[in-house]
Amino acid sequence: MTSKPSVVLPKDKLLRKGSHSKMALKEKIVQIYEALFRGEDPSTGNQNFWDEFFLLRVNAQYLENEIEKLNGEQVQALKETINSMIYHSIETLKDEHPIRAVNAMHTISALIHAIFQKSSSDHGFDIINVLIGFDIAEAQMQILIERLNQLLTSDRPLSLKSAALSVLMVLITAKENVSQNMMLEYVMINSVFESVVQILGNPESRSSHGHDAILLLTLLVQYRKYESANPYIVKLSILDDELALHGFAQIVSSLLTDFNRQYRQSTAQPEGGFFASLTNMVGSMFVAEEKKTEAMKANDAVLLALYEAIHLNRNFITTLTQSHTPSTPTTPPSSPASHRSGPDLNSPNNLPSDAKPDLATLTDSANQPTNLLVTFLEYCSIVMQDIKDVTRFNNAKLCLIILTIIAEDQYANSLMHDVNMNYRVPLHKMPMRHRKVTVDMKPASRPLASALLDLIVEFTQSHMMKNIPLELYLRSLGIAHRILCYQKKCRVRLQYPWKELWTALINLLKFVMSNESHLLKKHDIFHLSSQMVNIFNLFITFGDTFLPNPSSYDELYYEIIRMHQVFDNLYSMALRYTTTEGQWKESAVKLTNTLVNVRAIINHFSPKVDSWAAANSLSSLTEDQVLEVVRSNYDTLTLKLQENLDQYERYSEKPKEASFFTQMVRQVISDYRKSYGVTGPKSALQELPS
Amino acid sequence: MMASRPLPSHNPSHTNPDPDNDPCQCSPPGQASTECALPPKDSCDDEPEPSPADCQSEQSESVRSALRLNLTPPVDTSEQSPSSQAVRCKLPPSGKTPKRLKHKSSKPQGSKQCSWLLRLFESKLFDMAIAIQYLFHSKEPGVQSYIGNRMFSFRDEDVDFFLPQLLNMYIQMHDVAEAIHPYLVSRCRRSVEFSIKASWLLDAYSEDILNRPSWKTSQGLKLKNMITNEELSPLKEHPTSPSATNVLSPGGQARRHKRSQSDATGIFNPGPLKRCLSAITGKQVSTSGDLASGHAFDNGCICHQSSEGVLNDLVGRQTECHCGAPRLRSQLDFINAFMTIGSKLQQLQTKELRTSRLIAELSLLNLNLPARVWLPIHSNINHHVVRIPPSQAVVLNSKEKAPYLLYVEVLECTDVYTAPVPNKLLENTLRHVRSEEDLTAYEKAEEGSSSGGTGGSSPRPEFSVYGHNGAEYDDADCWSQEDDEIIQQYRGAQRSKPSADCLSQLSASADSKEPVFIAAGDIRRRLSESFQQPKTKFERDPEDPSAAAMKEPFDEKVRRIRESSPYGHLPNWKLLSVIIKCGDDLRQELLAYQVLKQLQRIWTKEHVPLFITPYHILVTSDDSGMIEAIVDAVSIHQVKKHSKLSLLEYFIREFGPVTSEEFMAAQTNFVQSCAGYCLVSYLLQVKDRHNGNIMLDAHGHIIHIDYGFILSNSPGKNLGFETSAFKLTSEFVEVMGGIGSDMFEYFKILMLQGLVAARKHMDKIVPLVEIMQTGSQLPCFGKGVGTINGMKERFHLNLTEEQLQLLIDNMVDSSINSLTTRLYDGFQYLTNGIL
Repeated sequence: MTSKPSVVLPKDKLLRKGSHSKMALKEKIVQIYEALFRGEDPSTGNQNFWDEFFLLRVNAQYLENEIEKLNGEQVQALKETINSMIYHSIETLKDEHPIRAVNAMHTISALIHAIFQKSSSDHGFDIINVLIGFDIAEAQMQILIERLNQLLTSDRPLSLKSAALSVLMVLITAKENVSQNMMLEYVMINSVFESVVQILGNPESRSSHGHDAILLLTLLVQYRKYESANPYIVKLSILDDELALHGFAQIVSSLLTDFNRQYRQSTAQPEGGFFASLTNMVGSMFVAEEKKTEAMKANDAVLLALYEAIHLNRNFITTLTQSHTPSTPTTPPSSPASHRSGPDLNSPNNLPSDAKPDLATLTDSANQPTNLLVTFLEYCSIVMQDIKDVTRFNNAKLCLIILTIIAEDQYANSLMHDVNMNYRVPLHKMPMRHRKVTVDMKPASRPLASALLDLIVEFTQSHMMKNIPLELYLRSLGIAHRILCYQKKCRVRLQYPWKELWTALINLLKFVMSNESHLLKKHDIFHLSSQMVNIFNLFITFGDTFLPNPSSYDELYYEIIRMHQVFDNLYSMALRYTTTEGQWKESAVKLTNTLVNVRAIINHFSPKVDSWAAANSLSSLTEDQVLEVVRSNYDTLTLKLQENLDQYERYSEKPKEASFFTQMVRQVISDYRKSYGVTGPKSALQELPS
Repeated sequence: MMASRPLPSHNPSHTNPDPDNDPCQCSPPGQASTECALPPKDSCDDEPEPSPADCQSEQSESVRSALRLNLTPPVDTSEQSPSSQAVRCKLPPSGKTPKRLKHKSSKPQGSKQCSWLLRLFESKLFDMAIAIQYLFHSKEPGVQSYIGNRMFSFRDEDVDFFLPQLLNMYIQMHDVAEAIHPYLVSRCRRSVEFSIKASWLLDAYSEDILNRPSWKTSQGLKLKNMITNEELSPLKEHPTSPSATNVLSPGGQARRHKRSQSDATGIFNPGPLKRCLSAITGKQVSTSGDLASGHAFDNGCICHQSSEGVLNDLVGRQTECHCGAPRLRSQLDFINAFMTIGSKLQQLQTKELRTSRLIAELSLLNLNLPARVWLPIHSNINHHVVRIPPSQAVVLNSKEKAPYLLYVEVLECTDVYTAPVPNKLLENTLRHVRSEEDLTAYEKAEEGSSSGGTGGSSPRPEFSVYGHNGAEYDDADCWSQEDDEIIQQYRGAQRSKPSADCLSQLSASADSKEPVFIAAGDIRRRLSESFQQPKTKFERDPEDPSAAAMKEPFDEKVRRIRESSPYGHLPNWKLLSVIIKCGDDLRQELLAYQVLKQLQRIWTKEHVPLFITPYHILVTSDDSGMIEAIVDAVSIHQVKKHSKLSLLEYFIREFGPVTSEEFMAAQTNFVQSCAGYCLVSYLLQVKDRHNGNIMLDAHGHIIHIDYGFILSNSPGKNLGFETSAFKLTSEFVEVMGGIGSDMFEYFKILMLQGLVAARKHMDKIVPLVEIMQTGSQLPCFGKGVGTINGMKERFHLNLTEEQLQLLIDNMVDSSINSLTTRLYDGFQYLTNGIL
């Protein structure tokens, strides 16, 4: 989240400080600030005072420090001065002069930031009154937002727009808890939604301000989300501007792509010999880890934005699989190359200089056309590897929630199962004791549903640990379940090696049972097991509607018969808990019920297999022989039609996940504030044409 | 012959109904021609010699005027009144014209020739084909300019067929250019479509002369530039409007007119007019051609959004654009976008990379649709392109070039230029938006736990209907209409006794306490039954994505795409297909199309049941173009590769046993098309006939594609790989029933009849080729005039029918036994893997 100008700025300041300290000269702006804070009114007698004031570069650091030093009463006393500064800043926004406008916006940002900081430690005053003044607050805020909207939508320099966005961001992140930020009422009344949408729709502004724009939108949606009607939720949910939606997806996609690329680079196997790999390993121990978590925190915001878009807007689903090339416009923008001051998207292939696709960019693997879902799946595969850390856990959880929503969507499913839309999804796997890390960078080109299932299988296989992430397991199994429900309903036969899923589920069952006593202390493993068995039940009862070929049904039976011990043990374990009263009794009963068909199969075929072996005097049978027995004995087996196999509880945010998201939003806001605190208001002045 | 004269109503010069011979009344045509003829002359003004016929200019001028005076009026007015008929009948012997003609033509028999010519020109037989011939052969300026004027009276479609010939002559022959210039200009003014096609053809055929520019051949490029610079906008009807005066004095003012238009795009002279113009064009300028903008094909015309446009829309009147927005720009950008994609694909190596890139590029293109653009290859249907389903597009089999097949959704309209552009519809419009409103409704349903009544009709009430009522699971808020239908069905199934087949729908019957049992055997049986249905589809093969896409019956594809399209519910929705070729010269293909089309017409006229499928070709430059996709057809190579059967076995699989009616119908089709294409192959010397270039359609017809090697040109540096007259493999004969069978004999009879008919009308075929040979560098004219003579010889004018029959027997025999055909197939198998 560092941008070029903001990196340059501190240096610049340092230099100046050094050269100024000798002469002990003060910046003129600082002198004026001092006068203002002394309660003087320098504008008396100088009609042009404010015009000149806003020509001077804002020293936000000084301004904020000064306010920081004040106590509550002093702040109250300075109310008139601050009101007047805000008032004149807003007035100045009208100004055609870009330097004045930028300085005015920086002044507003600095004052809002400082006063809010103050109020968090000292509750002795009312923010709105101190900043603007009660009597004129509503009118002033209306004017301010109107002006900001104008700046954002009109054809002004990019730096002006980023300053305008920055004002809004400062306003919105002023409080850790977005819902307690009273100032946002004004932003609710005076909408900035349309301006943001316009930014998203325009390829040029999108590439420079996209990140701020989606973050702004995401945070605005959070305001009193669960309490009152938030106009931004309504507007985002009915947004049908295809270009804007597409732009939204592209911003998310490119940010996630950046993350994926970083990860790939950090894990890239060096070509050199032993020493190189050693140094690399050592190096990555110290550096890469840090870099990874750093990048991940930045992605909470992006993920949240993706979540809100998918959750609220159904039209957004189409953009998920809309292919796009990572590089920006195929034809260079007609306007002269513009300065990019945004903190993001400064990746080299976004620069207009190489916007013309030449052979190199076309064949470069990083520039292959992709879509948001492909990128997101790869991202998930990275994030899900290590979930010990709480932020990573939350990130992975959010990923799974997003995937759940996608898997519930009929249209998304139809896209994911479309055989005409094949993609290569590079899924990263965690190194584990019993297997080598082989990141298949040239995976097969398949429908996206296959990749999603692979991800679920991989997650299931790789998280069997003492501290079992039960919640995530339930989510990931739920995703597989939803996909199967879609396939059953629409009779889609996905060419997928289902055996991998069955094996993973059986392994997880085995793990759960072997750690029964430990896990039961905290978790309802019966519920988890029921969910797994129900996936088997779907295959058993409705396999005819979605299995890719007849023999796969036989293989399913073969697997169940082969692993019958697991199911037998599961049944007896569940039975144990049904007989004794306890908190698990009910779910244990449920589990025994779900096992009815699996047990029927085992009870039906096991003796058949044994007798066949006896008849042919064989001690053990080959797979083909067992399959033969299975095939010839279907007709005598009766299964029970179980209820609600293809039903699932639809995802809803409100009761269950509300606190998770509140926490998430807090995290995102504090991340942004930290980055803001580091860089200060982004000075766009250097980029302005003088 | 004057059956219809579709002349523009706003062009006063040619709609004059007055039959009078009065010179004043005659002047309009003359005036029109001078007015229109001015530009080329004017455009030549930088050349020292203004006219090629300058030495005889006076003479020719007088002859022209004579022709104009005496010939044009009757032409223009032939059916207007008996008196004009009389005039016309009298004309040839009447004094004035022959004298003048004689005066002009120095040859002794000139008078007689011209009068005979005149009678021919006025006879009912005189059509565009003859006109083209005379335009090409006659060096008489009078005759040429007569034909130039006369062309106004032909139907547009008839003239358009010969557009490549006309424009090639325009480029290569200065005198012809002068004669047909007024006609071309007038057509360009009237029709955007014509302008665009003409500019592409001019571009393509000028390519050969670019290296040796001379004043004699510069007119083609000049006309092209005039068109692309939008100098040829329609004439305004109001004489008071400034643009009308522009038109009346074409020279400098016309140019100024054009500059003022382009100036509006990016100048900085302040003023109220400029401001209002930039308000209009500003948007267009920044976005035109930029696919990421979402308005790449928006020419900035605001006439349809204006209050007048809205009013016209309401009262059902058509809105003419008069805001001066560029007419051709958006369409040219649209086609350019396709070509850009093609050239990008070319740089990628594997088919898979190409496919994914194609999908990505098309999704981007899609953002700019709907727009006032159309597929020029389907210009017989008036339409606006609304959507290109990206995942339906396929890259075709080609190693070097990357042609691709597109399916394009269009909405038919009455007139492309005046009908309003359809509004954008989002992909998944079937589903209602989960707006806040819905959310609250949903919540209410949740709180009230209302177990609603039965079946509501609109989605909204169904929230309560399918809300949380006890055990029944709520998913109403996500189900689209189609889902609701399923739920309805399920409810129906619940009420009636469920049959075993809808068991899968039944699992939700939560309230039935009675356990339902199913037999595992049934599940397994249903599963295998669903795979036993005869496979008519080819399996999807990532290495050959086109095979599966093209095997799918077009009707089925249309239905499938229609269902998934947001525009599919509209009654005027249509699916069109087109192949985009980039990096290939399609001029030979175009010539082949014309010849095939003429042959088809001839055979239809002569009632010879030969079947050929000429497919439209659109040349957009000398190395790009579009091809009409042949629907419901796969190449024989693909048939053999995917079915792993011989051709006869495939026929039996597709159409039934040999004795069935379906098979016989397909066999007849096969024979008729085979005979047709054998003749085509022979007459045009079509080479490179491997099985990848021969298609088989759903009715058993074969269709030859790829006319890259015709006439004097053959693959392998003309080494003569394929020496047989045409490709007739034993496999083909097998489908016909074998040598000596009735169908095989029928095949030979058809060929004889076809050749006799073609010979009878060879003057409709040979000139097509001959004109195109002029100045051409195309490889098919490698032997120069010898090429034409060779083609003429292949019609065997000197042979009797018996001799012809013998000839055909010989050709058929030698083709079947041809070693080179087999060699060539073997060669193709080894090098390109074509079966």
